[in-house]
Amino acid sequence: MDSVNRFGPELILLAMAAVIILADIGWALAGTGAERMRRPALGALALTGTAASIIWSALLIAFDEQGEAFSGMIRVDDFALFFNFLFAGTAAIVILASIDFLRRNRFVAEYYALILASTAGMMLLASTIDLIAIFVALELTGISLYILVAFMKDGRSSEAGLKYLLLGAISSAVALYGMAYLFGITGSTSLDEIGLVVSEANGETRSALVLAMVFLIAGFGFKMAIVPFQMWVPDVYEGAPTPVTAFLSVGSKAAGFAVVMRIFLTALGDGSISSDWATVFAILAAISMSLGNITALVQGNIKRMLGYSSIAQAGTFLIGLAVVAAADPQLLLGTSAVLFFLGTYAFTNLGAFIAVIAISSKIGSDQIADYAGVAKRSPLLALGLTICLLSLTGIPPTAGFIAKVYVFNAAVQADLVWLAIVGVLNSVVAAYYYLRVVLNMYTAEPASEESIQPGYYLGLAMVVAVVGLLVIGIFPSPLLEASEAAARVFG
Amino acid sequence: MEDTGSIVAFWLLAALTLGSALAVVLIRDLIRAVVLLITSFLGVAGLYITLSADFVAVVQVLIYVGAISVLMLFAIMLTPRAGRNNAETFFRIPGILLAGLMAFTISLVSLDTDWAVVERGGFEETASAIGEALLDKYVLPFELAAVLLLVAMLGAILLVHPEGTDEE
Amino acid sequence: MLNQIPEGVVWAILFLPFGSFAVISLAALLGLTRTGSWEARFSGYLTMAAIAASFLLSLWALDSVLQEDGARIGYDAHEWVTVGSLRFDIGVTVDGLTAIMLIVVTSVSLLVQFYSQGYMRGDPGYNRYYAFMSLFTGSMLGLVLASNILQLFVFWELVGLCSYLLIGFWFYRDSARRAATKAFVVTRIGDLGFLSAILLIWTKTDQLDIGQIQHLAATGMIGSSVITWFALGLFAGAAGKSAQFPLHVWLPDAMEGPTPVSALIHAATMVVAGVYLVARFFPVFIVSEEAINAVVVVGAITAIMAASLAIVATDIKRVMAYSTISQLGYMMMALGVGAIGAAIFHLFTHAFFKALLFLGAGSVNHATGTFDMRKMGGLARFMPVTFLTTTVAGLALVGVFPLAGFWSKDEILIEAWAEKPLIFWTALAGVFLTAVYVGRMLFLTFGGEYKGGEASDHGAQANSRPAEPHESPWVMLLPLVVLATLATTVGFVNITGGMNDILEGWLPEETHELVAAGDFVLWISVVSVAVGLAGLGLAWAIYSRKAIRAEEVSAALEPVQVLLDRKYYLDDLYETVIVKGVIMRGAAAALHAWDRYVIDGVVNGLASLMRFSSEKYRLAQSGQAQLYGAAIFIGVIVIVASVLQDELLGIVGL
Repeated sequence: MDSVNRFGPELILLAMAAVIILADIGWALAGTGAERMRRPALGALALTGTAASIIWSALLIAFDEQGEAFSGMIRVDDFALFFNFLFAGTAAIVILASIDFLRRNRFVAEYYALILASTAGMMLLASTIDLIAIFVALELTGISLYILVAFMKDGRSSEAGLKYLLLGAISSAVALYGMAYLFGITGSTSLDEIGLVVSEANGETRSALVLAMVFLIAGFGFKMAIVPFQMWVPDVYEGAPTPVTAFLSVGSKAAGFAVVMRIFLTALGDGSISSDWATVFAILAAISMSLGNITALVQGNIKRMLGYSSIAQAGTFLIGLAVVAAADPQLLLGTSAVLFFLGTYAFTNLGAFIAVIAISSKIGSDQIADYAGVAKRSPLLALGLTICLLSLTGIPPTAGFIAKVYVFNAAVQADLVWLAIVGVLNSVVAAYYYLRVVLNMYTAEPASEESIQPGYYLGLAMVVAVVGLLVIGIFPSPLLEASEAAARVFG
Repeated sequence: MEDTGSIVAFWLLAALTLGSALAVVLIRDLIRAVVLLITSFLGVAGLYITLSADFVAVVQVLIYVGAISVLMLFAIMLTPRAGRNNAETFFRIPGILLAGLMAFTISLVSLDTDWAVVERGGFEETASAIGEALLDKYVLPFELAAVLLLVAMLGAILLVHPEGTDEE
Repeated sequence: MLNQIPEGVVWAILFLPFGSFAVISLAALLGLTRTGSWEARFSGYLTMAAIAASFLLSLWALDSVLQEDGARIGYDAHEWVTVGSLRFDIGVTVDGLTAIMLIVVTSVSLLVQFYSQGYMRGDPGYNRYYAFMSLFTGSMLGLVLASNILQLFVFWELVGLCSYLLIGFWFYRDSARRAATKAFVVTRIGDLGFLSAILLIWTKTDQLDIGQIQHLAATGMIGSSVITWFALGLFAGAAGKSAQFPLHVWLPDAMEGPTPVSALIHAATMVVAGVYLVARFFPVFIVSEEAINAVVVVGAITAIMAASLAIVATDIKRVMAYSTISQLGYMMMALGVGAIGAAIFHLFTHAFFKALLFLGAGSVNHATGTFDMRKMGGLARFMPVTFLTTTVAGLALVGVFPLAGFWSKDEILIEAWAEKPLIFWTALAGVFLTAVYVGRMLFLTFGGEYKGGEASDHGAQANSRPAEPHESPWVMLLPLVVLATLATTVGFVNITGGMNDILEGWLPEETHELVAAGDFVLWISVVSVAVGLAGLGLAWAIYSRKAIRAEEVSAALEPVQVLLDRKYYLDDLYETVIVKGVIMRGAAAALHAWDRYVIDGVVNGLASLMRFSSEKYRLAQSGQAQLYGAAIFIGVIVIVASVLQDELLGIVGL
């Protein structure tokens, strides 16, 4: 029973996905009379699922029910639980933000079921410790997202879905190839056993190990959206339905980082290979930040801009990974910096996308130029988006500031001063394009005076995100403690 | 050292697999390409047999040769004007270069590595061992694969359904 | 004499304005401002009440500090975040420097808020204005009171943010928008240095507490190169905020904000935060030869350069902006020669007469609807109170005896003479330039004939052109009179050197001998006043008497004139060369071009080729996916090759 118990947070999401599909069929059978209740009820079921998942995760902590499950397939520890909360919370906010968005769509049930299934896959990516299970979880996450990206079925959405599918398939294949190499070198699929072999490896398997490592970075780099595996980001972010874009930019990215930390810190953490990947991550971090920010400067579409910005942000998270095995390694500091940053980024980016959903659906455009005068038409939305963008820029008292200080400090402690400098320089460039949006909202005459009222659920999601990032900005202790506790798993 | 028979078999199968894979990429007629793809899949199945992996070889034939190739043929035939005379792609030369470089890198790395070689055992049937592993140690990935199929099915229904929005 | 100020009261100084901000924002969020149940004037009253209370409490703080002779009144820091290796504290500290800054901020802010009631009357953004002003005042007080450097940085960024919001207050103006962005980006370049300095000192000493850092620096516990880099980083931040060369370009543009904002933020308080920062870390600067020299050189260049630019500006607020930059340069110069007392004393007096100058300019603008001095003239007749008070402020700025500016500027000159004579001559040249532009400003605005003004663009009379200039309402005049009184008298505060004592009382003992402390030198005072009067005389000859025609002067000095008109080409350098040329056109455009021409071009070219040769090519965009996929493999190959270069070269026998 322990196994099922520890698998509970994922299980309940999958079960709720099935319940939603069945309930939808029930409604179809019940006839048109009950139709009015269908959408809210399905949304409520989906939210209940995420809430139950969060509660279950909390109970696992309360009853100290941590450990392995399913004969060493998954390990439910502080690290996995940290991500359980992160993913379930993200899913809940995305679902809230989708309710109004789906008002006219017929496939509501499928949408929620796919979100829940994908979330379960992400949670598994953070907790699985066996290559085979990792790959299945990777596909579960990915396939749900491919469908969600193409959900609107119009030209842009389909094109985005197709691109995402093709490139996702390539990167999965690459990751799988890397796993095969890893298995070939060590003869095991268990991360712990691989780690044992790797730590004792002599120089003779080095080149194969390096190749496996690079394949893994490439395969998961696709999910993390780091340069040079980021090419899909702007097109897919632009084409996907905006709530799905939000989910991609937060959930999918965090899942990529979760699995990379799990694999690299457990299986490739010891031995000479660790300094190799630390160097690779450091250089990719610098390139991702610079390329992402500079390209974001010239974007006219806000979703593309946020796409490039998310590439730059991923570069900043990578600093934490580079710190873990740098010249002066700071395992705990680096890992917890990534985790803390992911936590704050979740609130920040979700908030930004929710504001985009609310504003764009009303003005019918994603162009930054059309955001002119939004502050007049909806002061609260403009304020919310401004706070999120300030947090992305890293200005106090928002959460983004603490996160940046934390991660740059980690870099300096690990003797990666150059990387910290690149990061700080980049945040100046970033300030320019984030604030351009803010200025445009607060300046320029609006095209029409009609006020923009976000729906009730969308407003609620926005409030949760903005309050969250302000609270973390002012009282960061709880999240910092959670991050450090999760990081200690690898210590 | 291996016996000569299996060495010869390996090289033949490898040539068959790679040669037909290359032809799949280069040929411009989709239907012929799929047929050549089947040959390539069969070659892979043969390689599995030389590795004493009987069950995997059979599954390879059943799924790839039987199901996937047939599905591809159906898809091509159902798509009007998709079959023949496809033009050259712009990426021919860069693609060949890139694939060559990739192959070069992988070969170099594989040659440079001192692999842990497993001694060849006798030829035993593996199906029951795989079955036990799937329902014992690997029960979680096995069940998740089921969920994965469900999700894929949902997606298929959703994406091919002609309607997007309700009439309300 | 009161009891020593308890910690809770110090926090109250800081939180009163924040409370006012919170209440106004809440009223706006609840929609009370729209329905009219919260009248706009309540926002003004609330802000003034909060700041007045802060002012009174600041007096208490000053009283307590006086009893301690300026020494630090220690309060224990409170734990804010502690996680494993990481510990952040928050706390407040009160000493001589803080107390003086508290008085400056609260008193000037109070007067400006009072004045704003008249200036902003009828503006649709009235509530927003007061909300931001409250937020700004609170943040500025937080900056001054912070006991650790990270906390200081948080408030530092907050005041920057408020400045940005208030510059762009009239956001429908394109120029206001651009000015706001410019201010933000330029100051952030400086903030980079600040943040790097914080990271550096944190890594090397594990300390964020300001007192501890000062102590470690003064006792030589930190390596000298660390000290130098730390100090230079701090100075970069200070130069950004205090508009020091070469980061000064944002301040003149910042004059797009409402005039009371310029008076409070861009003259009296926020821009002196940089000076405050250098003073706060004076024990660090003073032990590093390189850092202190950087401060003095940058200060001197700024003082002279900005003063020369003020002579050619035609917008009265821009004249004042350059004047502010120049005076900030003076303060930096003073710090650079080790005269912290003189620097802060000048900061103190400058706050009053510069705020007065700005408020006077606002009053003039209120009457004529323009800031262009060429459209004013003859206003002395119409606006006697404004004229008199502005003249007092102008003379104080020039340093005419016995006005406030005389005492503080004199002290800087004396210290400079004692420490670095070259700096003394630079400063004296600055006095002359200052006198010329002040004279020019006064004669153009108040002398001669009225030249018509312009339609107003804010407040109740927006878009109506005043037929004849009129004196401003009493709510605007009262602060002018109060400030004029202060500008006349505050100089005497330090006549016995008492202010220097409390300003230097908190310095660690080890640094006392490094602080410059000269005595009054009569000939320097006489010379500086004479130079000032000479400058005023020249201005009178050119702009009032027209004995020397301005056109002839500019014709004779044409290259100089062009150089000044182009602001030493610095704005051009930044905007055209760096921003547009390098960043926008270069890197970004290259990437854009890559995105657009290479990727899209390949795809589009491919697509049209396909469409041309075969009708069957439907998914035009799929070529893009191929390219994206190729990037993954290129990435893999490059990374593998670079990690394994030795091994791979070994295999192929190289």
